[in-house]
Amino acid sequence: MRTFQLDRPGDLAEAVRILAEDEGARVIAGGTDLVTLMRDGIQQPSRVLDLRDLGLTEIEWQPDGGVRIGALCPNAVDDRRLAAEYPLVVAALRAGASPQIRNMATFGGNILQQTRCAYYRLPEFACNRRDPGTGCAALRGDSAKQAIFGVSDTCNAVHPSDLAVALSALEAEVLVHGPAGARRIPIREFHPLPGDTPHRVSALRDGELVTGIELPAAGRGRVSNYVKFRDRASFAFALASAAVVIERAGTVVLGARIALGGVAPKPWRAEHAERALVGNRLDEDSIAAASAAAVRGATPRKDNEYKVELVRRVVRRALSELE
Amino acid sequence: MTRSWVEPIGANINRVEALAKVTGRAVYTADVPAQGAAHAVQVPSQISAGRVRRIDTREAERATGVLAVLTHQNVPRWRGQPAIPYYAESRLPLSDDRIHFGNQCLALVIADTLHQAEYAASLVLVDYQLGQPVPNLDAARADAYPPTGPYPDRFPTEHRRGDAVAALRSAPVRVDREYRTATISHAPMEPSSTLASWDGDQLTLHDSSQGVFAHREAVATAFGLPVESVRLISSLIGGGFGNKSYTWGHTLLAALAARVVRRPVRLTLNRKEVFTGTGHMPAMIQRVRLGARRDGTLTAITHDTVNATSPTDDRNEPAIQSTPALYAVPNLAARAQVAKVNIGTSGAMRTPGDTPGQFAVECAMDELAYELGMDPLELRRKNYAERHPQSGKPFSGKRLLRCYEVGAAEFGWSWGEAEPGTLRDGNDLVGYGMASGIRAEHSAPAAARVEISSDGTAEVRTGTQEIGGGTLTTMVQVAASGLGVSPDRVSIKAGDTDLPQGAPTFGSMTSGSTGSAVHLGARRVRVAAIRLAIRDTQSPLHGAEEDAVDVRDGRLLLRADPSRGETYVDLLDRHGIGALRRVGEYQPEEESAVERATFGAHFVEVRIDRQLSRVRVARHVGVFDCGRVLNEKTATNQARGGMIFAMGGALMEQLVPDPVSGRLITPALTDYHVPVHADIGDVRALFVGEHEPEAHPVGAKGLGEICSIGIAPAIANAVFHATGKRVRELPITPEKLL
Ligand SMILES: Cc1cc2nc3c(=O)[nH]c(=O)nc-3n(C[C@H](O)[C@H](O)[C@H](O)COP(=O)(O)OP(=O)(O)OC[C@H]3O[C@@H](n4cnc5c(N)ncnc54)[C@H](O)[C@@H]3O)c2cc1C
Repeated sequence: MRTFQLDRPGDLAEAVRILAEDEGARVIAGGTDLVTLMRDGIQQPSRVLDLRDLGLTEIEWQPDGGVRIGALCPNAVDDRRLAAEYPLVVAALRAGASPQIRNMATFGGNILQQTRCAYYRLPEFACNRRDPGTGCAALRGDSAKQAIFGVSDTCNAVHPSDLAVALSALEAEVLVHGPAGARRIPIREFHPLPGDTPHRVSALRDGELVTGIELPAAGRGRVSNYVKFRDRASFAFALASAAVVIERAGTVVLGARIALGGVAPKPWRAEHAERALVGNRLDEDSIAAASAAAVRGATPRKDNEYKVELVRRVVRRALSELE
Repeated sequence: MTRSWVEPIGANINRVEALAKVTGRAVYTADVPAQGAAHAVQVPSQISAGRVRRIDTREAERATGVLAVLTHQNVPRWRGQPAIPYYAESRLPLSDDRIHFGNQCLALVIADTLHQAEYAASLVLVDYQLGQPVPNLDAARADAYPPTGPYPDRFPTEHRRGDAVAALRSAPVRVDREYRTATISHAPMEPSSTLASWDGDQLTLHDSSQGVFAHREAVATAFGLPVESVRLISSLIGGGFGNKSYTWGHTLLAALAARVVRRPVRLTLNRKEVFTGTGHMPAMIQRVRLGARRDGTLTAITHDTVNATSPTDDRNEPAIQSTPALYAVPNLAARAQVAKVNIGTSGAMRTPGDTPGQFAVECAMDELAYELGMDPLELRRKNYAERHPQSGKPFSGKRLLRCYEVGAAEFGWSWGEAEPGTLRDGNDLVGYGMASGIRAEHSAPAAARVEISSDGTAEVRTGTQEIGGGTLTTMVQVAASGLGVSPDRVSIKAGDTDLPQGAPTFGSMTSGSTGSAVHLGARRVRVAAIRLAIRDTQSPLHGAEEDAVDVRDGRLLLRADPSRGETYVDLLDRHGIGALRRVGEYQPEEESAVERATFGAHFVEVRIDRQLSRVRVARHVGVFDCGRVLNEKTATNQARGGMIFAMGGALMEQLVPDPVSGRLITPALTDYHVPVHADIGDVRALFVGEHEPEAHPVGAKGLGEICSIGIAPAIANAVFHATGKRVRELPITPEKLL
């Protein structure tokens, strides 16, 4: 590991100032991802900002019924109202990592965790995301775990977060603070597709950091579900996952949001599948149509072809399990 | 009042090191304190095939705290070539500029602190000359060949009896299938660690070693020293499974570094090095052909294997070794080949040869059973071998039929009620499968010193090592039984070449070989004490026949009249003897009239979600014949661990090579999945063995390896029953069942 300077800024302004003036500075929250990346030489910040003195751990309910969750709130969140009103968020968190890691990990760090693509995490392989312009060993290599949506010819890595998939289906907003002050970024714009700049992993601008996440108030008649499929019972990233949020009036679906995990460089909104549901009753036919539509636009390779069928099945399962 | 006497062998006592382990006081090799030790870190190769054109260590040498940087250009010469397999590879570390596999050690950095060494290692610049890597077994298969050298000399590459080809041709029913198994890793919790210090020409090594005597010899040879100049100490081991059965480069490098910097040196592997550089079970492709009559009588079996081997060594995975012993089939042909791949040398991994080999044969047996429309259990009974089918000798004991019987009853085995792919429970497909296992029983010479002191305590000294299986505890029990004292009076010193030579803790040899040495030593002490008493006019036992005296709970007494007797304490005290000690020596027979083996039978129930097809082993009953069980608690623990270990290999574990370069893409526990608790169903281990002195004087046989054989095929067979689909490639990951 390279030596680095550790700072503990006392307030947001100081943190932003350091981030803005020092290109080599990185934020550390729970450290569950950043530390392993530094250990393996994948990330080599010269300066590390520990945010623990900034607070940012609160869960604040908004007058309109929405909720704001601090960027440093732990993933092992234990809040009755959150569990009651946003069960999807809690389910997605619980489906991830292990209790020990969830105790350390934070909301901000979670949505900013780096891909688990082996080719990114092993420095002996070429990776455009890690070292721009050096090529992508994964494109010629083993694609079994790689993305089937949103890939480019520079990168086909998967975004690994479960939480981000739930946030995507809830249309959360990411609250950020930077040299130009505060702004909000809709979650669907927060994670860019790789295109030809795969090293850009978020919409954060220089000097910006995440202060929180805001969830809009839950609509009436809303039901949700998170289904994660992996190759062992627990403590594994998703091979494919689906977060579904349905709003109904009577039996008719008024609104549907479906986000997929483990299959794209960002939480992937399956809009074709959403459209297959809206205006219909949630029944076997509409669920079959939605699960078929969920894979429209997929571009699998030979060794991740199975993910196409897996997506259909997790979507079907997530919808079928709704009350 | 004396406590009621319980025979120590078989008693369910707790591990002697249990308290130390659960309170964190247990000392593993990396915990051994060392004043002023420097730290060594290996510089890994970024490529998997080629040469080091130039290596620039100047910046590393200038870094803070760095004491030395060793490369192939400046490393002192090795003085001898240690013998395979206890040194695993024919190439010694840093001996030339050649690169054979990814993450191979290219240089060693030694510094005052670990962090200084790690940092300096990142400053070493290597200019590579890229070779053309062979990434995997598929790429190498066309060039497979019969191996030569020390490994095939040790593990035969051919077995024959009768005329298998002709018998197959005329067989009315035939099965001909290819099976594949992935590269898998021992993945022990404890990464290997070495602490080396020199005192003149005297080397002391603390090393995570499953065989201190064998490894001492390997190290001594490499340094051109007599074995007496090397002391090797193995503290508690945090999981071996064969990962620490052979010596690997880092142990030699640590000793070399300590010599160069004239200070003790510690070298602890990182996780990636454990996965890439300390052995694994190699990828295999196996073809099995079975010929049978319509009534299920086997007439022929052929078994052809090819496994990936490293560029430096022809190491054949001995998957065919037990095929001749499995069934009473008159015609057999088995042959092993290897193919060169750019991967590190494979090593012995629980259970060498037999886990993959019997996966193939026992799956083929299941396929034959379905072909015949016959209960797979009946098929096995039909072809049961009373005697060893190759040598014709009887077994010292074989209770496999009993394993079948007990296992089938415990599991509730019944066959033929549901066609494959038809059994459902809610959203789950349900399937049942079974398989059996055999493991040849090995032995090694072993010695142990046992003593009883005049304060009533006893001690065992033997250079065995505790790798987590409960060795220290069972050896204490064997000594307690032989002496006739309670196990809580007995302590043990182990894991050190300064002690009498025990057997290594691999190849399932501890219970049988070291156990017999302890047994013989303890019996000798007991007999000496009895003789002392019966010749002593002051003893209440004076004049008694030797055979008439028993010892219980530290008291020598007349069997016929237990009120007549005296304690070890009184006897030794009166004679002014501080401690009565004897050495027990176990020497395996060279030529034996019997065959020795352990046996197992497995019955499993799998459940597979119909849409989300992850295989879960909901129920698993394993029944074992391992002779006399020394401690049911540690044995059950060991057996369940072995069954779960093999379930991991069957369902999820694989070291995946990059298809272009062969460098592993899963050399981390996040990606190399082993079972977590939530993957473990109802796993039951039962024992049918009995005291079997014909196997070894102590009456016990090995358990650590038989408990991982036969699980993968039982699971694969159950998957077929659940789904109607034969998956002939391990691991059976979800996408294979979509
Ligand atoms: C073994 C293992 C298994 C796991 N399994 C899962 C799983 O199944 N599902 C899943 O979703 N996740 C899983 N994870 C990932 C885990 O959820 C993340 O590591 C964790 O959420 C990261 O949070 P952190 O606070 O520790 O982030 P850190 O490691 O501290 O930071 C991660 C990144 O975010 C940046 N960052 C952090 N906070 C901020 C902020 N406020 N503003 C700007 N940048 C910031 C850091 O600079 C860094 O780049 C697993 C991790 C491990 C180690």
